Amino acid sequence: MKKRLSDLAPDETGIIEAIKGPVHDLMCLGLRVGKTVKMVTKQPVKGPVVVLSGEVEIAMGIGTAQRVMVIVTPQEA
Amino acid sequence: MAANVGDVTTVLMIGNPNVGKSALFNRMTGANAVVSNYPGTTVDFTKGTLIEGNQTYVIIDVPGTYSLEPRDAAEEVAVRMLRHHPDATVMIVLDATRIERGLYLALEVMELGMPCILAVNMIDAAHEKQITVDTAELQRLLGVPVIPTTAISGEGVRSLAEMLRKARVADVMDISGRLKGDRPAAGGRACFGCGGCGGR
Repeated sequence: MKKRLSDLAPDETGIIEAIKGPVHDLMCLGLRVGKTVKMVTKQPVKGPVVVLSGEVEIAMGIGTAQRVMVIVTPQEA
Repeated sequence: MAANVGDVTTVLMIGNPNVGKSALFNRMTGANAVVSNYPGTTVDFTKGTLIEGNQTYVIIDVPGTYSLEPRDAAEEVAVRMLRHHPDATVMIVLDATRIERGLYLALEVMELGMPCILAVNMIDAAHEKQITVDTAELQRLLGVPVIPTTAISGEGVRSLAEMLRKARVADVMDISGRLKGDRPAAGGRACFGCGGCGGR
């Protein structure tokens, strides 16, 4: 299932499929197509999101997270 | 080696925030730059001196940056330092536990065509997290010296100082070729006889 990174639920994991718009800022933080990311926290009222990519926690504005498309990894039972 | 003013070589320490540049700087120069466990501690540069062999190095600890397109004042300082010292040697400092993110900046710096040396810092933390960094292979691929270090214990700092004189200009096209495997390691050109890569 494909969704925006900003729509991942906490603890949900996905693989980045595409980044719309400028990629440089995200690439230098370690986010690129093919990378697995896990949602750590989502702040309410369009607040920033924190995702885990490898060993790195990355915080970004909701607008940035909305530009990242991910394919959701099925949760283990 | 470039950047010889008299016999003084300028070395710029460049790396992501919170990879241990200042800790490594203190180790190498005996200086007392502020170190903390938070990214963005260094907001201005600090200079120190290292004498290794017969060579004097002026080492400049630069604020951490994620890329060479500055997004805040501290990053601007880092980019400005690179611009103001075009003949300097660049010591790129990576966090061994977050190597991929550091390599993005490393390649950006290498594209500038300055002589580079890579310090893979926090190697002890990587061991703890059971992350292994194949520094020999990294050295073969990048064509610049790669030294594993632990700034807080001092591990690898001496060999980093000794290897400063072997800093090389990396050719990004060569790196790309070696990654694709369609070009051999330039007939040993990537090897500069330090033994780190076993002569590969």
